[in-house]
Amino acid sequence: MRKVLRIQYFGLLLLGAIFFFQCRDGNTPPVADDGDLTDIPYNPKPYTVPKPAHFPEVPFPADNPFTVDGIALGRRLFYDPILSADSSMSCSGCHLPRGSFTDNYAVSTGIDGIAGKRSSMSLLNIAYATNGLFWDGRSPSLEDQALRPVEDPIELHTTWPNVIEKLKKHPTYPEYFRKAFGIANTSEITKELAAKAIAQFERILISSGTSKFDQFINGNIDALDEEELDGKLMFFDEGAAYNLPDAQCFHCHGGITLTGNQFFNNGIDSVASLDDFRDKGLGGVTGNRFHNGKFRTPTVRNIAFSAPYMHDGRFQTLEEAVAQYADNGFGVENEDIFIGQMGFPLGNGKYSGLNAYHQRALVKFLHALTDTVAINNPDFQNPFK
Amino acid sequence: MKNVIMSALAAAALLSASACREPEDPGVDFAVNFKATYDSARLEKNKPYNFDATQIVVQRYRLYLSDIALIKDTTITPVTDVVYLDFTPDQAASDLSATPRIVFSGIPAGEYDGIRIGFGVNATNNAKQPSDFPAGSPLANEIDYWLGWRSYIFTVLDGRMDSDKDGNMDLPYSYHCGSDPVYRVFTFTQHIHVEEGHPELNIEFDIRKLLLNDNGTYYDILANNATSNLVTDTRVAEDISSHYDTATTIKQ
Repeated sequence: MRKVLRIQYFGLLLLGAIFFFQCRDGNTPPVADDGDLTDIPYNPKPYTVPKPAHFPEVPFPADNPFTVDGIALGRRLFYDPILSADSSMSCSGCHLPRGSFTDNYAVSTGIDGIAGKRSSMSLLNIAYATNGLFWDGRSPSLEDQALRPVEDPIELHTTWPNVIEKLKKHPTYPEYFRKAFGIANTSEITKELAAKAIAQFERILISSGTSKFDQFINGNIDALDEEELDGKLMFFDEGAAYNLPDAQCFHCHGGITLTGNQFFNNGIDSVASLDDFRDKGLGGVTGNRFHNGKFRTPTVRNIAFSAPYMHDGRFQTLEEAVAQYADNGFGVENEDIFIGQMGFPLGNGKYSGLNAYHQRALVKFLHALTDTVAINNPDFQNPFK
Repeated sequence: MKNVIMSALAAAALLSASACREPEDPGVDFAVNFKATYDSARLEKNKPYNFDATQIVVQRYRLYLSDIALIKDTTITPVTDVVYLDFTPDQAASDLSATPRIVFSGIPAGEYDGIRIGFGVNATNNAKQPSDFPAGSPLANEIDYWLGWRSYIFTVLDGRMDSDKDGNMDLPYSYHCGSDPVYRVFTFTQHIHVEEGHPELNIEFDIRKLLLNDNGTYYDILANNATSNLVTDTRVAEDISSHYDTATTIKQ
């Protein structure tokens, strides 16, 4: 009787093991020892990125269309510390949903504890940033951008060959790559495919369109209170008829994503000459002296979650940031022309600046851009938790 | 039997009609080079230019064109519905203005007397917004859409002026011309030959002439250094847009 029970026990174990392997991620056979993946089905399913109706179509490159499995792979890679030398840090280390995909530090710190020189940028609506990435625009696409932090000594500080070896030997990643890109063998896993997957995931990080501001522009005129509405009128230079000054914000933070993704000297550094910027920004990339001190405009959507502010995180609060702009800059040669035009025109190119009420209303409007639905979107969260 | 004969006749008639139809003219590629100039020389960002008794620099110049068409007598041949030109892209290492070259396909080969250009975005498209257009369309571009006015910004011309002639470019000027009353359509008389491989068409916009009044005097930048933000006040924007008539040169 005991022998029969033992046989039944082992039989059940065997059946369980077979069942486990067959059912893993949808009846997918395991990866063969020689790296062959062709037994795993490749059925790419196109994916349409959900977006608010008043947002433009989400752009993507022709050679990296969205697929369900591509996004799933990208999401895992984005949150997986496997991309760092000591498996301690992932892309999400600097781009956390709760910070609207920033890390809320003035400057970001990599795996070796070395601080970088710039603040992490929000990834919300990053799909629309087709005019250069990073604060200095040195990367032309998300596919290119995703390659860089892995080998940056002050970020993930490893090498792509190391990462690729880890991915090839991983129990599940070969299957994910097969499903995402149809590769036939683990040997075909490349950094370029990893970057494509990460880029696909990053492109789905789109606003929900539920902020008070979105409700207002979609016809709910009660969505903004009086101060928020005053702030909105100043932000978009629509206040002249209501005796409100121009704050000129939308010239840089324009369009529905509230960033034109262009590069400006936004008047926060008083330097004697264009050679004196501590961080040259775009100028460090192009070599054009007139580009020194220019940085890509971040979105102000969800700005309440992404403190501190500016490329070096110098301002802890929105009040400090707005106050900086209120005084019309320092008159540096390449300062954007709108930095010097805050307030009511006084004639001969002079402007009044913004008073305490104007600044408060602007800050209130910036809070009306808060979109908790986006940062809590389950599809954007860490898949390992 | 009668039905069979009738069907055969109908089929024969259809076949003969489709055989006799002339094949549609597939047209040819028609390349146009766009250039921004100052006093006829290629525009350079941040370069001081003589303007009246003082100097100005140009920092941004972007432009929408609509309903470009070739004209022959009373026949209008559409070339494109919209073009977006950024002569001063942010990241260009050089300060020399960009010279966009756009190839329009399927344009009927032949001789034309002129070209019609809409300066801005026509009212039909301007009633829409970037989210109404597919990704990649010039009108899906958000940079030059003004949410406040519900209008595209047809022309962006920004820079600085040395208002007191002391060598410092102290006065910002910003002409952001948008909204339906600002849209202008001009027809330029010029013999244009369209043929595969034929010399390309060159369209130039001269900033100095854009800032000249109709009587040839200099526009008063000091008094009118910015377009108004009041949707009811399009005076300066209309002034600038109207000057495209004289500021545009067509060459082949």
